Formats: sequence, C-alpha cells, structure tokens
Amino acid sequence: MPDAGCRWTLVWLLATSLAHAATRPRYGGTLRVEMRAAIETPDPPLGGPGMPDLAAAFNIARWEAGRRAVYDANENPPGGRPYLDSIDIQMGKSLREQSIDLELKRADIVELGPSELLRQAAGRRLWSSSPVRVVALVFSARIEDSRIREALALSVDRPAIHSVLMQRQGEVSGALLPQWISGYAFVFPTASDDGRARALLAGLPPAQRTLTLGVEDAAARQVAERIALNARYAGLTVSVIPQGADADVRLVGARVGSSDPSRALAGLAAAFGLPEPPRTDSVEALQAAERALLEGFRVVPIIHLPDVYGVSPRVKGGTGITPLGEWHFENLWLEDNRP
Amino acid sequence: MIAAVKGWHAAGAALLFCLQPGARAADDLPGAARELARRTVAFAGRGEPVSVAWRNVSSLGSAVFSQARSAFETAVRDAGDRVTEVAPVAELHLTLSENQTQYLMVEEARKGDERQVWIASWKRSETTTAMGVGQSVTLEKKLVFEQAEPILDAVFPGGNLLLLSPDRVALYARQNGQWELQQSVPLTPPKPWPRDLRGHLRLNGTSFQVYVPGMACGGTVEPALTMDCRPSDEAWVLESGSRAMFLAAFAPGRNYFDGRITTQTGVRKTVAPFFSAAAVEDQGRQLWLLAMLDGHTQIFDSAFEPVGGVGPWGSDIAGTDARCGGGSQVLVTKAGDGREADALRAYSVRNRVPAPLTAPVDFPGPVTAVWPTGAGTVLVVARDLETGRFGAYLITVNCGP
Repeated sequence: MPDAGCRWTLVWLLATSLAHAATRPRYGGTLRVEMRAAIETPDPPLGGPGMPDLAAAFNIARWEAGRRAVYDANENPPGGRPYLDSIDIQMGKSLREQSIDLELKRADIVELGPSELLRQAAGRRLWSSSPVRVVALVFSARIEDSRIREALALSVDRPAIHSVLMQRQGEVSGALLPQWISGYAFVFPTASDDGRARALLAGLPPAQRTLTLGVEDAAARQVAERIALNARYAGLTVSVIPQGADADVRLVGARVGSSDPSRALAGLAAAFGLPEPPRTDSVEALQAAERALLEGFRVVPIIHLPDVYGVSPRVKGGTGITPLGEWHFENLWLEDNRP
Repeated sequence: MIAAVKGWHAAGAALLFCLQPGARAADDLPGAARELARRTVAFAGRGEPVSVAWRNVSSLGSAVFSQARSAFETAVRDAGDRVTEVAPVAELHLTLSENQTQYLMVEEARKGDERQVWIASWKRSETTTAMGVGQSVTLEKKLVFEQAEPILDAVFPGGNLLLLSPDRVALYARQNGQWELQQSVPLTPPKPWPRDLRGHLRLNGTSFQVYVPGMACGGTVEPALTMDCRPSDEAWVLESGSRAMFLAAFAPGRNYFDGRITTQTGVRKTVAPFFSAAAVEDQGRQLWLLAMLDGHTQIFDSAFEPVGGVGPWGSDIAGTDARCGGGSQVLVTKAGDGREADALRAYSVRNRVPAPLTAPVDFPGPVTAVWPTGAGTVLVVARDLETGRFGAYLITVNCGP
C-alpha cells in the first residue's frame, strides 16, 4: 500500500510546478484567511510555517497584533507577480467560528479541527499537509523511575485516539519522525499492553503510581483525558491539569520543521528537550539515533497530525500548502474576480 | 547502508545498536536484498531455516514487490540458509518502504528474545514515461517535440523547428529522425516574467517575430539564427486559420489581452479582456470567438460587436479553416483549473451555436498553449502530469473518413 504522505508529496511537487492552462488563472481579489492563533508580537512573524511563507511573493501592508494581517502582492517577485492582489488574515478565530465563516462564504481558507471536519458538508474542499505535528507525552525530570514512564507508554490506546478523537486524521506512531519523512516509523511499536504495564508497576507504592498530566492546549484536553483513562487500566492514577509547567508529564505538540530527516529529528529533539542527535545522511544511523532518543521513555510519541484546511470553491490554482504545511499562496487565484 | 538494532521493545528487552563498519548504501534493489540476506545469514547461522513475512508500504508496484521478495529469498538461499515456514530459527519481517529520497527495505529479524532491525536503502529515481502519439478520427495528434522546460510556441521554418521557451529561442534541424539543436539565442526579460507566462511566434518566410509580455523581438533563421529584442508593449498579431487576423494588446505582467484591439480593416475597438481568440465562418459570415476571463466564450461579429456567448470552455481556443465540417472550426480546451489532464475538441458554429465536430483528443496533462499554425493545423503544448515534461503537438483537422 503506497504511503499517503509520499504519494501526496509527489503530487504536490508536480502540481505546484505546473504551468497553468485549460482555464487560465485570473488576477485580482483578496483571499480571506482565518486562523486560531493570535500572534501578539509587535511585528509579523519571520520564521515558521504560515504567514512568514507569504513573504516570498507578498509584502506586509497592515499588522494588528493578535487580530489581523494584510499582505499585498509584490509586483516583481521571482516567478512573477502573484495572481491575488492581497491576503487578509484574521487571527484569534476559534475553529468553530472559522468553520461557520467558511460555510457563510465570509472566509476562503480556514483551519479545521477534528470536530469541524466531522461537520463539513460532503464534497467540501480540503487541503491537508502530510502529518507534520507530533503529539507526544514528555516526562518531567522528577519522574526518575523508567518503569513508570514505560508503563504509561504501554497503556496508551493510540488507535482509539486516532479513530475517535482525531476522526482518523494523521497516523498513530511510536516514532518522532513521521513515516513519510523517515520511511521506518513503523518499526517503533505502538501497541498497548496493559498486562506488561501492570507488571512493571507491581510493587510500586500508590504514591509513585499517581501522576499529573499537563495540557497547555485546550484542544488537546480530550486526548489527555483519554490517556488518563487508559492509564487507569494499567494501574496508574493520572489526573489532567491545565497548566503544564508543574505536571509530572505533559502532552505536548511539536512541529516537523524540515523534510530532511536528520534536520527534522534534530528539530523535534530540541522541541521535546531531548539531546541533540548526531547529524547523519544514513537512514540506518538515523533510525538508531531516534531509537536512542526514545530509549528510556522520556518522550513518548502518540500520534502525527496533518494541518487541515477547509477551502472555498472560489479558490483555484491547486493546493496552497506544502506537505510540511507551508503556505504557498502565490499560485492561487479567485474564480469570481475580474481585473 | 546497513545498521543493526538489538532489542524487543514490547518485551522490554534492552535496546542496543551497532553500526556495521564498512556498511554502505545499496545501488539498487538487488543490492539491498543481498546486503540484508548477508546480515540475515550471519544472524540466523548458516544453513538454518528462516521464515519470511512481507509487506509493502511504499508506492512501488506489485512487480517490484515480487522482484524484492525474489531477490531477497534467492540471496538468502545463495548465502546458505533455507526459507521455510517449518520450525524456523529466525522470523523475518521485511517491509518495502520509502521516504522522500530513498526506497527502503526494512528487515525486522527475531531469534528467540533477540531482535535486530536492519535497513537497506537505494535512491529513488525519477519515473520516466514515454509519450505516445495518439490519433482520433477527425483530429490527428502528433507529438513533435518535448523538453523539460516550458514551451511557449513553435513554428516550422523550412522544415526545421523554431522553439520559443521562457529563456531562449532555439532552432532545431531534423537529423536521423531526431531534432538536433542547431543554434539558440537567449531571451532576457527586462523584469521577471509573469507567473503564467505566454508567448507567441509568428513566422514569415525565414524571418520571425516573438511576442512576449513587455518585449518584442524580431529575427531570422537564415543564414544563421539571429534575434533583436526591445522592451515594448506592441500589439500581438492574432491569427485564425489561414486568413483571419487582428491586433490585440497584451496586458503587461499578466496572462491575458487587455481588450484593446485593431481589426483587420484598421478599426480600433475595446472589448473586455480575453485570453485567446478564434474566427469561424457561420453561414458565410465571419464571427470571432473570444475566451473571456470569466470562463465563458463570447461571440462577436466581424466588427467585434457581441452577438452571443457559449461555454464554459477552457481559456485556450484557436481557429482552423480546413475545408470540412462547415468550412471552419474552433478548437477548444476544456474548462478546469489547469491541474488536470486536458482535451481538445473541434466545434463548428451554425446560427451562433457551436456543435461538436469531433470527439475530444486527450492530452497527458493540462494544455498550456494553443496557437494556430496554418489552415488546418494548430500547435498545442501540454505538460505531462506524470513526467512533468512539456510536449508540443501538431493537431491536424483531418477531413478524411
């Protein structure tokens, strides 16, 4: 069975390098984008996926921290002027609001979470990156007994999280690097084993078997609650708390920042507070390095998630995001705009 | 390259790994299979029975998958072990996988409580697919030339091929059945080309004109290929079939004509912006069809007064006047957003209503340019969705049975 990520990547690479025709792109119009994050910095962000990706073909024209950003077309960028005149980005919109705005044609591109995905009308246009967000459990240094860490790792029912809470978005994984980047993610086990977890915990006093699980992102709370429930069957008492800083273990998301496997692993290791892995071009050495990072269960990958966007039918020009989730809106055009 | 990882996560065994000195990336699938087979025999012991389970999580097809199985199992036997399901000493799970740059053969081997993971890899190569030449009953399609770079237009001076690409004009001559490059001259834009670049070649004997946004060039192919260019917003000559033409101003930095036109009789008019134009004869009267920016095609009379509309068609249309099918034809691409395989179909127009003359002729990807090249032929450029290469096709309206 072909790997969806790789297949998607090839399709994207071909599609984005196409010359246009059949119906040629039209110039003009404002693309209306909504996002959940409210970026409060005094200036527009310069790094990371999303808005910073627009800088290649658009110039920032208006910045209202936490609320709104407007980008205007650069007239002479490499590759030619974008078809769009401008991009208007509304920040701080809940996923629910975004979904409604897309439905009411008040937005052209919105983020979709699992719940909103479920409510989308049949035939709704979606853009999905490859799985680029790694959700993992990260243990505090004070949880010194590796048996407790491994027991929690063995208790997590990843398929239930994937199918029920994530509406089958992304893929379960015991690896840091997604399969589409490494090619070997499946060698890291994902199966739960309550019996083995209970055996590991046998003899430990109840106080040691009690953990707090911190969740900083409210959207991930359901996942945390499910992990706490799973842990109970393994003999652990886990309570979910909103503040992650003081928790025994935190549910954390980190983003894959490069499609180069070695760079991606280094980035994820840094994001999860793991030692820097050796840089290598060898797949085997990389797999060994990743295994070494995960040894000891300080970090337990749970699931890899894609970025998913709902897209208005008036947006043309192919998929505007890369497999890594970068925004490439310079080839997009709007059907109902005239110069 | 081969590396080994010992351990069995689920069993909670210690995880160790060691890199094999001297290990290296395989050249190809058989090389990867041999490398893993060598490790397998060293792990299981020479002459020992091993069982093998396979799966394919790559985009490689079943033929390659079978080849991988065969190569590995043969290599294991050649190295001295036996592949059998009966009382195996070691259980092997082999997975054909891939990442963005390599194919992987991943072996998870288990002998008792001991577990090893080896990965052999080889580089992914670009898929190349040969283009075929298709024919239909009334439209004949002939692939003339293909290249990786975009093709904007092509003409045929004296049996040679003059090709317009975004960065050059190149002259090819046919030698031993192949187009051989004779000369090329660079095309340097005064500022970045538009994102959806269009260009047109117009041949007059051995001299030619090049129309590209913001530039006008003139040149000759004899005695040698020469060309002079200057910044210009000069109107392009748009022809249809062998007789009809008008002048149209191209919008600077865009992919369409801005609507300012000059008719064959010298009358200046302004119509709505459009992408392409074709003339047809309808009961003895000439009509012009313009593919407009809104996806519809508008019909104008010879004075460029609107008289009707059709569509939605694609953005690229061209006229021919082969002496069949009503005396003139308009060849049209199909509507779409330019990311899918395209098709060209011929229509005739009667009482301002187009009627299909032919079945659609399919292309392996989006059509990126359509320009008339004579009475009954048009040049079509399409980009192959599989190979990414651009092909220039001559489409001939065939009046025969």
